[in-house]
Amino acid sequence: MSTTDEESGGVLRSILPPEQVDRFLGTCDDYGWPLLGLGALIAASFPVLGLEGGYYMTVLTEMFLFAILALSWDIVGGQTGYPSFGNMAFFGIGAYATAILTKDFALAFPVAFLLAGLLAVTFAAIIGIVVLRLRGHYFAIATLGVLLVAQQVSRILDITGGASGKILLETPSAETFYYLFLGVLVVEMGLVYYLSGTRFGFVLNAIRDDEEKATAMGFNTTYYKTAAWMLAGLFTGFAGAAYSLFNTFIDPQTAYNGAWNVELIAMALLGGSGTVAGPVIGAFGLHTIIELVETFAVGWQLVLLGGAVIITVIGFPKGVVGTLSEYASQMDYYKHGGMAATDTDDGSEVSADE
Amino acid sequence: MAATQFVVNGLLVGALFAGVAVGFALIWGVVDIINLAHGEMVMLGGYTSYWVLTLVTGNAEGSPLLFLATIPVAIAVLFGIGYALQRTLVSRVIGTDIFLTLLVTFGASIAIQQLAIQAWSANPRSIQVSFADPSMNLAGIVVPKMKLVAFAGALVLTALMYVFLQKTRTGRAIRAVSQNPEAAALVGIDVEHTRAVTFGVSSAIAGGIGAFIAVILNIQPQMGLIYTLKSFIIVVFGGVGSIPGALIGGLLLGSVEELVAGFASSQWTLAVSFSLLIVLLILKPKGLFGQGAEQ
Repeated sequence: MSTTDEESGGVLRSILPPEQVDRFLGTCDDYGWPLLGLGALIAASFPVLGLEGGYYMTVLTEMFLFAILALSWDIVGGQTGYPSFGNMAFFGIGAYATAILTKDFALAFPVAFLLAGLLAVTFAAIIGIVVLRLRGHYFAIATLGVLLVAQQVSRILDITGGASGKILLETPSAETFYYLFLGVLVVEMGLVYYLSGTRFGFVLNAIRDDEEKATAMGFNTTYYKTAAWMLAGLFTGFAGAAYSLFNTFIDPQTAYNGAWNVELIAMALLGGSGTVAGPVIGAFGLHTIIELVETFAVGWQLVLLGGAVIITVIGFPKGVVGTLSEYASQMDYYKHGGMAATDTDDGSEVSADE
Repeated sequence: MAATQFVVNGLLVGALFAGVAVGFALIWGVVDIINLAHGEMVMLGGYTSYWVLTLVTGNAEGSPLLFLATIPVAIAVLFGIGYALQRTLVSRVIGTDIFLTLLVTFGASIAIQQLAIQAWSANPRSIQVSFADPSMNLAGIVVPKMKLVAFAGALVLTALMYVFLQKTRTGRAIRAVSQNPEAAALVGIDVEHTRAVTFGVSSAIAGGIGAFIAVILNIQPQMGLIYTLKSFIIVVFGGVGSIPGALIGGLLLGSVEELVAGFASSQWTLAVSFSLLIVLLILKPKGLFGQGAEQ
């Protein structure tokens, strides 16, 4: 799927030389931490510079939310190669946990938030033991099943407010959520970026590439898979925990939203799965598009989302970051011949070893 | 006595589930794709039958024979849709990562869903078939006549597909492609065309069943996912690539769901079915009857 078009490449090459792309990606890779800090600082400065609570702040907050979700999905889906269609189950658990803890048990939001994350991780651990034994299609559908069962259960129980959901009136300010989502996102990006350079990250990628070989090399793949799954559960749970109060309302349909689950997979793929920046870029990009569609073409969101997913998957399955780094490394191929393109160690992030 | 009644209800509905699942299993076995848009084919089949009947009679009511006459139309239309879906979209991702294939079919599924909502609104609809006497009473067990017709229809469609796969030239080509696409190509089978026909046949049977579902239950644009999931449970239960397995799996699932709905509450059916699925996947990953598909 990775053959780029040779004919049109000539024109593109003169406008945007691959060396520069390569240099750009190399720079990004060399200055990963400063860039992350800079991005966080810029994003954090918006409210200080006069961004008021309202439409634009909500949209930005949602972008951070989706970036968290997409990046969490990517820990399991992109890095480890397990196509989860049930990540939103953690989101729902987190969302309901804060809703119930703050409303029925009158706990303070920070305490409820942490407890919700803990609950999501516990749930992830229990479910992980069961579903991570499955692979491929079976894993995908089993996780989708977990999501639907969780949704059904929250629809039946009394404490979750049944099908009509829960209305939450006492919520922190919009600015709090802006910084909360941003903070979680930055911490998660930092963590994933750090892990992608450690033994842990490499083992995850090894599991994705060939699980049997990884096992044969003596790695306890179950341990690594479960850890990655729990990590995804933690951050997705945190996102959900903050979301229920941010949204001031939670019901089974929004908490365990199957369409969102597809949306965040599409975001990770669109940006470039298996990288740190990819899912975040994808989330920002796709959410902007979705926001525009919701403003100008109400009632057609799913048609456009479905179309976008199909085009991405068929057109460029490696996403923005993956396609760019491939484009960049092609120049190495011409400069140094065969092997240089394959064993560069200055390739962008973890996608280079695909 | 109540339990017997529930089981009878379950078997009657289960045959329909089995018919849907057989098509799903066919694509999975031959093309190695989980078609997440399979439930949408059921939905489109139901709507085709509904609109043909509306076109003929003015409202969606008619005699049983008139209704049965719409089923070939639904089958033909859905064959075309399935064939086109494979040719235009799915063929481009065959042999790539699993989640790419899942996403393409899921993308198609949600797009079809919303297009259906835009075209026909989200209201549930159903076809009314007029009988002089709606149900029969056999030794204290109530059997609605239309459910019996649907049951028989589903079995006939499944049997027809079985015969088609076993006896016809095209059926043999489909089985050849499923076993070894390269070797099939070497003996002159057009693999792409055969795969598209497989998709068409699978969608056609789903469409035919969809018409029956429109009579005994109801149809609405978002019904598809449930049927896709049920098909998955049934196929895993019966084993990939086994039509008798899918048939038994469907009847069992129908009975289990009706028993759960009868003794507990219909809210719990999905949770119970999926819990069963997960237990089964762990205990017996290759299904009860099939040889199982390796990833």
